[in-house]
Amino acid sequence: MTVDFIYDTLNDFFPSLAGNDFFLFISMLLPIAGLLGFITIYGFGVIYSEIKVSSFIQDKTGPMGQGPGLHAGKWGLLQPVADGIKLFIKEDIIPASADRPLFILAPFMIFIGALVAFIAVPFGEKIIIADMNIGMLYILGVGSIAVIALILAGWSSNNKWALYGGMRSAAQIISYEIPAGISLVVVIMLASSLNMQDIIAYQKGGIFNWIIFDNPFMPIAFVIYFISALAECNRTPFDLPESESELVAGFVTEYSGTRYAIFFLSEYANMFVVSAVAVTAFLGGWQSPFPNFLNTPAFSMFWMISKTFFLIFIMIWVRWTVPRLRVDQLMHLCWKVFIPIGLFNVFGVAIWTIVIG
Amino acid sequence: MIKYFKDIFTASSAILGGMFITFNHLIRAKSGIATLQYPEERWPRPERNIGFNHENYNVIRSRLHVDMDDCIGCLKCERACPVDCIKIETEKAPDRGTDIKDVKHIGITKNGTKKALVVTRFDIDMSECCYCNLCTYPCPEECIFMTGGPNAPKHPIDYEFSEPDRSDLIYRFAKPGTKEGLEKLLDKKQEVEA
Repeated sequence: MTVDFIYDTLNDFFPSLAGNDFFLFISMLLPIAGLLGFITIYGFGVIYSEIKVSSFIQDKTGPMGQGPGLHAGKWGLLQPVADGIKLFIKEDIIPASADRPLFILAPFMIFIGALVAFIAVPFGEKIIIADMNIGMLYILGVGSIAVIALILAGWSSNNKWALYGGMRSAAQIISYEIPAGISLVVVIMLASSLNMQDIIAYQKGGIFNWIIFDNPFMPIAFVIYFISALAECNRTPFDLPESESELVAGFVTEYSGTRYAIFFLSEYANMFVVSAVAVTAFLGGWQSPFPNFLNTPAFSMFWMISKTFFLIFIMIWVRWTVPRLRVDQLMHLCWKVFIPIGLFNVFGVAIWTIVIG
Repeated sequence: MIKYFKDIFTASSAILGGMFITFNHLIRAKSGIATLQYPEERWPRPERNIGFNHENYNVIRSRLHVDMDDCIGCLKCERACPVDCIKIETEKAPDRGTDIKDVKHIGITKNGTKKALVVTRFDIDMSECCYCNLCTYPCPEECIFMTGGPNAPKHPIDYEFSEPDRSDLIYRFAKPGTKEGLEKLLDKKQEVEA
């Protein structure tokens, strides 16, 4: 939608060059540049809030930066910037026995996986880069690129910890895609569309029309999706691929400097994507919680971003509350709890839509 | 089957309880924080009492300080020091007991002694000091003392010794410019005599 808008605007401004392929190129490049800027600024914000929330939960202050000399600004606001600068000027080490091309490829691949998923995220009523008719399916599919990247990172590092981390992440992400998919199937059944904007349009008219309150099965579907999303993002309590106490740092053990920063950033970008999908599917997307309150196109982006950030806050909150699961507990939770209950949900919603809806 | 649902219920209620606790800590972040912003805030210092009633033993041994206006350069503290951490250099003053402009401080001490020597160097290396307090007893003018405690009105207590460089722990008490001032003065005197 945004691509079409920029393309049409360019054609209107320069009628003599209308239909130029170069315009198409620019209209695709501009949204991607905007996305990169958004991810960077969002990364700084979410790293800062992660530091601060974790500190407050542990009765600490986090970076404060008072007094003379080098410090991280007022309330440590410049701490993420300092971290970023530190990571980017650090030496970039590639181990001698590593598989060089794959080692270099892995961080790019994981970042592309995160970036490409942003294309179908509906930021607002008019702000969506590509309004695909299979948007939900596209995001679920693109999310699997991360698995390849993580296995590549683990394999190419030529390090036992990295390989363990990569294999664990493969097992974990492939398993948890099933309950996540099943709980989104329920949403697709209700909205009878895979298009993100159609799913949001189905939830029009206040908080009680949101899909999460549509019928008694939906809160369960939301919880299953949210926990599976946590597992897909490798967030605590499902951070087995990089569990510090067992595997040094998992698949990022051998990465340093810029490449490590890219891994870090794409983890946070993935958090945004899964939260945005949860908001779109269950929490009304860019709709206001009240029928006629700030429900204009201008405020649609505000509602979308604030709901997404609320879910990201819950992710941070969970991280500092729940300890890490064991591998067998992880698999038990997925295959023996989420998938049966998710399938039961699909059945229940099908009956519900026929009998009551 | 009942155990299966019971387990799910136990797990979710345990997680919710844990999240409730962490949220309580999060929202009272203003009052419950244990961190001190160190250089600005410090823990209160406890009162010192080592158990003796003798006043000389109950003195707080924090950091040596010298009141240079009273020092007569007698070297008694330097000789008393068991680890030789005090270094004093003196020069004979041209005029005894009067204030000299270039040297700034020579004159009469609080006890009424006329100062005959200009102290050009008075260094105490606090990284070597063993806090035995032996240098303070022989001082005839009572100008070298440990800060804080009974001497609190003379000088505030200082006990942390956090410096960026080890050489900063050598405290130089001689007034800056004393040596140069004295040399200038002596040169002038020689010129006059010539």
